[in-house]
Amino acid sequence: MFRKILVAYDGSDGAKKALNQACELSTVMQAETWAVAVLEHLPKYAATVGEVEETQEQGRQYLGTILVEAQSIAAALQVDLRVDQAAGQAAQTMVRYAQEHGFDLIVVGHSGHSAVWGAFLGTTADKIVRHAPCSVLVVR
Amino acid sequence: MHGGSILDLEFALEVAVLVLLASMLSRELGVSIAIVEILLGMAGGNLLDLEPTSWMLFLASFASIVLTFLAGVEVDVGILRSKFKESVAIGGISFLLPFLGAWLFTYWVLDWTSDASKIAGVALSTTSLAVVYAVLVETGLTNTTTGKVIMAATFVTDFGTAAALSILFISPTLWLIPFVVVSALLIVGLPLLQPWFFGRYGNRVTEPEIKWVFVALFLLMYLGDKAESHAVLPAFLLGLAMSTSFAKYRTEQQRLRVVAFALLTPFFFLKAGMSISFSSLTANAGLIGVLFGVKVAAKIAGVYPFARRYLGQDAWYTTLLMSTGLTFGTISTTYGLNAGIIDQDQFSILLTVVILTAVVPTLIAQRFCQPPLAGIAVAPSVQDQELMAEGGD
Repeated sequence: MFRKILVAYDGSDGAKKALNQACELSTVMQAETWAVAVLEHLPKYAATVGEVEETQEQGRQYLGTILVEAQSIAAALQVDLRVDQAAGQAAQTMVRYAQEHGFDLIVVGHSGHSAVWGAFLGTTADKIVRHAPCSVLVVR
Repeated sequence: MHGGSILDLEFALEVAVLVLLASMLSRELGVSIAIVEILLGMAGGNLLDLEPTSWMLFLASFASIVLTFLAGVEVDVGILRSKFKESVAIGGISFLLPFLGAWLFTYWVLDWTSDASKIAGVALSTTSLAVVYAVLVETGLTNTTTGKVIMAATFVTDFGTAAALSILFISPTLWLIPFVVVSALLIVGLPLLQPWFFGRYGNRVTEPEIKWVFVALFLLMYLGDKAESHAVLPAFLLGLAMSTSFAKYRTEQQRLRVVAFALLTPFFFLKAGMSISFSSLTANAGLIGVLFGVKVAAKIAGVYPFARRYLGQDAWYTTLLMSTGLTFGTISTTYGLNAGIIDQDQFSILLTVVILTAVVPTLIAQRFCQPPLAGIAVAPSVQDQELMAEGGD
């Protein structure tokens, strides 16, 4: 039923649950599975390129680490996970990523690292559900 | 006013607290440290009656030259060469039309003096490379044609701003000759000597590499001052000339940034904030909106047709990003205030417009005109890695 599955991955417990679920689906449906981590919080309205580059580099290293961890989790479940990084606002970036790369399912944890903000502004999962171009599985 | 050493220490303590607070707030809010420093400086100047001391003014003025040098170092000469025609067209008009628009508007309509109008023109002609770069990274567009053209065009606009600031206010004296000659020698000679110097003296805790750059910048400032000009243009060109070699010495570049961000630029942005008057802002809110409109309208009139021609559907996105401004705008207005060309009201108005141009066009571009997304780093799957290790396709 699903051919291409996208996991929104930020290394949180919620994201790990989502990854596990996605791996199970992937095995059953023989689907291609990707985990994408989003680099958020680049300094807005920076005065120097250096300020952006330093933050970007730190973020890239962190995302690289959690994506390697995601690949290990998937490998233990016999799933060959592909990974990517993108930068931007998390929900918006995941929705656009799914749209532009032809995914037919997004799997996302119910609450990631932004749980406190989520209580006030809605979680990343809420926003993805509202705007996604494909089916969305929210894992609790 | 602060005269004695204990008062200097008291002021230094107050400023140090603001600098620390700015770093923390910047991290928490996700907003650049420059904006937070300007806002805290504004609060300090208006609510706590903080006034910049002579040592702060000196550090701020040196910081502005270091920032200009770093802007030159950040130029990617390869991108500039590869997109030369498009970047000169878009970047050139992006400087020229807003410069003329703001200059003539403030001169004819607002009745500012000729020199004050020129400062307005220069301050509102700018495009912020850093603001543009952050947005391009967030959109994943840094390596696309649109991203490269926008960045290259920004370099050209920056060059126009630096040139205008250095040339428009010259009162020629004989010192102009050594200023020009030494500038040329440094711009040509330093990049040639840099590998030898870094090889022989580099990688020490005493950081001779940073001192070497600082000596050159102080020399430019000294001669620029003697020549009654401004060291912005040669500092920018020196950075540009050293950008290729600095790209090979990433650690040295990072250390220079650390020194600049920790010890110099906070004073520049705090000082700029302290010079903004709340009462001027409230009295001139309408005028701030009008000048913002003048800058953006001139950028649209100039940039959009060329962006449409070279970048097609990304024309609006390009135009809005070329309408941003921050560092060079702050440098220009601060120069105008320090040189007595503009008064505090004009400074407050212009700097607020500059800050608005950092924020508003960026928000609109990201909300309404964002081009398609691209990934920033695709890592191969475990299966691919195994295939690569086995020499497979």
